[in-house]
Amino acid sequence: MIADSISQGFQWNFNENDQEFSLHGSLRPQRSEEMNSCISALENSVSGVSGRFYVNVRRLVRMNNVAFHAFAGKILDLVRGRSDLKVHVTTSSVVGWATRKFAVLETMSENITVGEYDNEFYPGQTFLEEGGFIPILRTQTKLTWRHERAILQRHGLEPGLQVADICCGIGDFAVLLQKEFQPDRLVALDHSRSSLDYARKVATDFGIRGIDYVFGDASEMLLESDQFDFVTCRHSLQVFDRPELILQELLRICKPGGRIYITNEKNSHCLGEPRSESIQRTYNEVARLWAHFNMDIELGPKSRRYLIDAGLEDIQMESFMVTNLDGDPQDFADIIQSWEDVYAGKMAVERGDSEEQIREFRQGFQDHIFAAKHPRGYAGWPIWVASGRKPK
Amino acid sequence: MQATSEGMSLNSDVPQMLHMDLDIKDFCSDWAHCDLMSGYLARMVSHNRLDSLLFSNLYSSALNELLETVFRVHGEDGKLECAVRRQGNHDRIELTFPADQPTFETYRQAIEKVQASDAEALYLEALFTEDEPDAGLGLLELGVDYGARLTIDRLENGRMCLVAELALEDETE
Ligand SMILES: C[S@@+](CC[C@H](N)C(=O)[O-])C[C@H]1O[C@@H](n2cnc3c(N)ncnc32)[C@H](O)[C@@H]1O
Repeated sequence: MIADSISQGFQWNFNENDQEFSLHGSLRPQRSEEMNSCISALENSVSGVSGRFYVNVRRLVRMNNVAFHAFAGKILDLVRGRSDLKVHVTTSSVVGWATRKFAVLETMSENITVGEYDNEFYPGQTFLEEGGFIPILRTQTKLTWRHERAILQRHGLEPGLQVADICCGIGDFAVLLQKEFQPDRLVALDHSRSSLDYARKVATDFGIRGIDYVFGDASEMLLESDQFDFVTCRHSLQVFDRPELILQELLRICKPGGRIYITNEKNSHCLGEPRSESIQRTYNEVARLWAHFNMDIELGPKSRRYLIDAGLEDIQMESFMVTNLDGDPQDFADIIQSWEDVYAGKMAVERGDSEEQIREFRQGFQDHIFAAKHPRGYAGWPIWVASGRKPK
Repeated sequence: MQATSEGMSLNSDVPQMLHMDLDIKDFCSDWAHCDLMSGYLARMVSHNRLDSLLFSNLYSSALNELLETVFRVHGEDGKLECAVRRQGNHDRIELTFPADQPTFETYRQAIEKVQASDAEALYLEALFTEDEPDAGLGLLELGVDYGARLTIDRLENGRMCLVAELALEDETE
């Protein structure tokens, strides 16, 4: 399961600006001499450093004790030889052994610290991951599925494929896929443990088998290269400050000839009648608010450019609108209410908006709900779907 | 190399998942076999775990240390057999291989350290020694860091069995 392309061999590099030495790949040498050039690179890097030296092993997938003995021993030597030097080792929670293994260094010297890279993961994580958002994600998927179930077929999804849903959230899309499209294999990956716990519980409760829910970081996945026919990533490129990095990873795990399928929003195009002006004002503000937190809720129409720039072929793109007429208008209203709770209730507060600004901001959401429930009203939430083929 | 779903076992009450065997000389002809075998087996036994990627990464690391130890310390002629078993969240790895008396003695001493009350201190000491690491370092790590229960058994025909019992998923959750 661990990527062979990662496990074959290892590399290191030193970033002088950040005083950071990183190790990548798989390190299982037979003799410590095989580590010599890496160890001298480490020594050289440290010699030019003042203050804190960072060692990054986040992408180190495998390491045996021969390598660890050589590497950890050298780090300890270095701090013991220079009283001004402090070392911080950054591990990844995705690689199960790494934090425990490196933690022993902390017990050997108080100038060495070891920490997992996890916090502040992406800009809006704290807002979006809190429990309260979960039911709303389910309602969102319920409404988008009405449209996407047919759209997915147009973009090439059919039964029997190897499918990955990256940034799967609470996993309900994966459940729907599993039921409707019976993939041969379905991997659903996210970097939120609470969402995955929820996802596994839902799958068990519904008697759904065969979905492989995995914990991982979409920007550096441990999945092997070239193995999926269809890779989906929904409503998620828009939460990263560098979506192109995620896209590269989606491309890597996709088979040549397979397709990448993404959906994203452009919130300033949410609309409603009556009270369209107030609604418009609020959603323009939503776009600015997300931008303030380095996320791009306006990404939807930019999908075509992102996919072309990533090197994909045969780009297909379309949009659809979730509206109050998709089933029960209350569902639509519930979604908008949860947006208000998170965007106005948390993010705007965090940004430092005044009470007056927040009151006005909230009004547009309430007017959107009003439009949705109005007997002659119309309310919409537009979404852009784009997919492209990985070149053979 | 052979892989069968049924094989000889010391402890047949724990269901066996896989059994592989190969000549110890073939195994020791290339160091990369440790990595390849541990990666391959880890992949085979991870598909139905709570988190297949985390599990297979941990399993491969643990199994690799066992295989590297056997690569370094083993007797002359015969087969290396590897059986993997599971009951619930408990995984059991059994490596059976040729071992003359000094070989068995080396393992006995290594296991003694793992079971010692100051195993953790012994682990740190082995890890940060200036010399080449001791062949038992991997076993110590498994005991201390992975919470593995390690045992050895003397078998007939100059063979021995090294058993590691692990609960990997409890650790990661
Ligand atoms: C807006 S939600 C979308 C979830 C789901 N695809 C849906 O449509 O409901 C964004 C998801 O991206 C996940 N995420 C954020 N950063 C991630 C990372 N680095 N790796 C994997 N998932 C990540 C979050 O945990 C969250 O579940």
